Amino acid sequence: MLKYIARRLVIAIPELIIISFLVFMIMEAAPGDFLDQYKLDPSMSKETLEAMKKELGLDQHPMVRYLKWLSGAVRGKFGYSFYYRRPVSTLIWERVAATLSLSLVSLAGSWILGIALGTFSALKKYSLADKILTVFAFSFIAIPSFFLGLLFLYFAARTGWFPIGGMISIDYNNMTAWQKFKDLLWHMTLPATALTLGSMASLMRYMRGSLLDVLNEDYVTFARAKGMPERIVVYKHAMRNAINPMITFLGFSISGILGGSLFIENIFAWPGMGRLIYQALIQKDLYLVITSGLISAVLLVVGNLVADILLALVDPRVRLT
Amino acid sequence: MKKFLLTVALLLFVMIVFAAEKYVWFDEKTPYLGADAKGKYGGRLVVGTLSGPRTMNYVVAKETSSTDVIALFMGYGGTLVELDNYARLYPCMAKRCEVELTDEGKMIVTFWLREGIKWSDGKPFTADDFVFTVNDVYSNPAIPSSTQDVIKDSKGRLPKAEKVNNYTVRVIYEEPFRLAVRYIGGLYIWPKHIAEEWVKNGTFTQKWTVEAINNKELVGLGPFIPVEYVPDQYIRAVRNPNFWKKDANGNQLPYLDEYVIKIIPDQNAQKLAFEKGEIDLWGVPAQFYPEIKAKAKEKNWVVGTGGPTYGTTFITFNWNHDDPVKRSWFRNEFFRKAVAYAMDKDAMIDTLLAGLGVAQWGPVSVLSPFYNDDALRKYPYDLEYARVMLQMGGFSWDKDGNLIDAKGNKVEFVLSTNAGNRIREGMCNIIRDELAKLGIKVTFVPQDFNLLVNKMLNTTDWEAIVIGLTGSDEPQGGRNVWALKGTLHFWNFHPEAAPGKQIKPEIYEAPDWEIEIDKIFAENIKVLDQKKVYQMFSRYQELVSEHLPLIYTVQQLYLYAHKADLNIIEPTAFGGMLWTLPWIYWKK
Repeated sequence: MLKYIARRLVIAIPELIIISFLVFMIMEAAPGDFLDQYKLDPSMSKETLEAMKKELGLDQHPMVRYLKWLSGAVRGKFGYSFYYRRPVSTLIWERVAATLSLSLVSLAGSWILGIALGTFSALKKYSLADKILTVFAFSFIAIPSFFLGLLFLYFAARTGWFPIGGMISIDYNNMTAWQKFKDLLWHMTLPATALTLGSMASLMRYMRGSLLDVLNEDYVTFARAKGMPERIVVYKHAMRNAINPMITFLGFSISGILGGSLFIENIFAWPGMGRLIYQALIQKDLYLVITSGLISAVLLVVGNLVADILLALVDPRVRLT
Repeated sequence: MKKFLLTVALLLFVMIVFAAEKYVWFDEKTPYLGADAKGKYGGRLVVGTLSGPRTMNYVVAKETSSTDVIALFMGYGGTLVELDNYARLYPCMAKRCEVELTDEGKMIVTFWLREGIKWSDGKPFTADDFVFTVNDVYSNPAIPSSTQDVIKDSKGRLPKAEKVNNYTVRVIYEEPFRLAVRYIGGLYIWPKHIAEEWVKNGTFTQKWTVEAINNKELVGLGPFIPVEYVPDQYIRAVRNPNFWKKDANGNQLPYLDEYVIKIIPDQNAQKLAFEKGEIDLWGVPAQFYPEIKAKAKEKNWVVGTGGPTYGTTFITFNWNHDDPVKRSWFRNEFFRKAVAYAMDKDAMIDTLLAGLGVAQWGPVSVLSPFYNDDALRKYPYDLEYARVMLQMGGFSWDKDGNLIDAKGNKVEFVLSTNAGNRIREGMCNIIRDELAKLGIKVTFVPQDFNLLVNKMLNTTDWEAIVIGLTGSDEPQGGRNVWALKGTLHFWNFHPEAAPGKQIKPEIYEAPDWEIEIDKIFAENIKVLDQKKVYQMFSRYQELVSEHLPLIYTVQQLYLYAHKADLNIIEPTAFGGMLWTLPWIYWKK
């Protein structure tokens, strides 16, 4: 197993380099650069623009710039953001905690609820409860997350029960640890719920479908015919197989945890990675974009690896070699 | 004795005849802004912003999200002179200012500084700080900045500052420079005792990043010092204990204890935050204005408009298009006049700006002291006039009603704007529909902003574009647009000055009136007599509105809303709601 993991990680290195190179090339191929946003400013002279270009290294050949970035990245230096004029790594680091807290809460919430409700729905197929859950799931799949976010904000504004966005109150730093925790929780409730609802709904449908498929298999019928108790048939035999496709899905969810909540972060003024990356893309803040692309790629690799390991643990037919 | 008196008289005569011209810009008798304020101490003001600051280094800062925060500790009274909400100049840390033209044609601006002013860290502010700021920061070739471009004279030479004594400084220009007092006096001043080292070791542009806020490194002369920044959440600034301004009762300003900028990146969320009272004031987008205005009484808000904003939006054509046929239409003045007559500005104001806008007819903002309504030629919406213009320009219509030029070519072109800008896209649609009524086929293609700007500035591959430029109260700020060799003279780039060097010299033409405008921009800056400058800029407005290189559309009004118990004085597009920040206070 350890050997397998080590091999996968070694293979990941050229993969990551290729991905970062591709992101770089795409950014280069897209028209314009970071300085475009200043080009229509009448107060900006040609000389200043030239000087900025030189200062930011945009006058160098793209290959030179990429190699410079890569050699830095290997040593843990991911370059400077053009916009913030600060190291990319500190910028990202500042926001990782915010994004992780929100993503992990909603990831956990949507998985636990999604699987539980999906299973319930499959077992009570075509019952009233199943129908209600189906309507509920389709509604949340259909409503775009940003719209749901806005609805929640209106709710907050009307009732006054929750803040209008943000992660902490202005007086946060003067609070006790317990007050800080409550303040965070109070701010997190709405964005986390909005994020959870959307992905939970689709997970619930996947789980329901997957479990129903398995329940129709011959071995389930056979187990039941043998007189095995229903609880064991479902939870020991059927669930194990139904969960397999979900685990692959989890691998992809992990890759999305840093950038997947863009709209919700924007609406709720949540200071996460999604917003940082979005702004960087729009402004063509090159090194910030490649580095975040690289992080997403790392997460994808890690997510897939985690999924494969989990699969091996769950499914005895899978052997990692 | 007689001899002595005669000598004295002679000397006086010589001095009068040959002495340099001297202008007193202001003296000790003019009070500074806020000297008559009578407010109350205490409280916190919370405002919203769409994005957080990128840097706290003014030389590096390019966007208002940064400069709005920097102004707290470098502006609002931290400069030698300052402007009120109508851009009128007032004394600030300089109590007296004189401008002198020497016999050699040089200009010397002398500032007398107020004594006893301290930096927020307690160190005294003296002439040394100012001289350092001018000579070592803004005139330093190793530290490029847009400020550097602004303070150059007409030949691109930078000024030199000299210390006369601890509280008197002189700034020397090689030729008269009309904007010297305003621009040099308005410079954000750097603390020499801190920043001198950065200049010496070449790290200036890397200092005072946003991390400087939490590290409590910021030192300034303005009313507030930012002390806490939570990325993408808020910036908290506290009262500068050493701010120099005092109110009418001799109390030190500012009145507020704290000033907080909350980062709320979504406009809908900003609206809700204002309604819920989480932010105390708000620059209202046009689409929300009617609703906010209707609720004003019930919610105890002051909601109003403060004149048109400064930016411009216009349609422009590519006079140097590769296709000689299209080139000939776009260079045809009657064609452009027909487009101007066909522009339904009322529809733009009603449908795109919720009725909260004004028609724009020329390049100078209505709020600018140089705006001259009488000099502008106006083109009220009238399709009949447009048709007459087209006929005068040699166009006619075929049997299907399509517009054709003298050689029988059908008139059709591609119109672009930056995709995602709802108002500009709406303008393009209105223009396209109106021109269709004249038999002109316009294909509207919105494009990505970067792509559009690059096409416009570096290639000849564009036909017509609706775009905007930022404006100011000072027309000279547009010299990159209007000078023949200007870097933003996009409709008719000079072959030598075009950014992409794409213009073929053999097709380039500059009409007389363009040459005249170029001259106005080169000359006005050397004229100190404001009346003469006014005449020059009137002529410029006349020429632009007559010949229409840019056909202006409409401009939104500045819209504002704030809590009624907040003492805010006469907001305008220039000053916004916060031009009196040091003496804003809560009435309750």
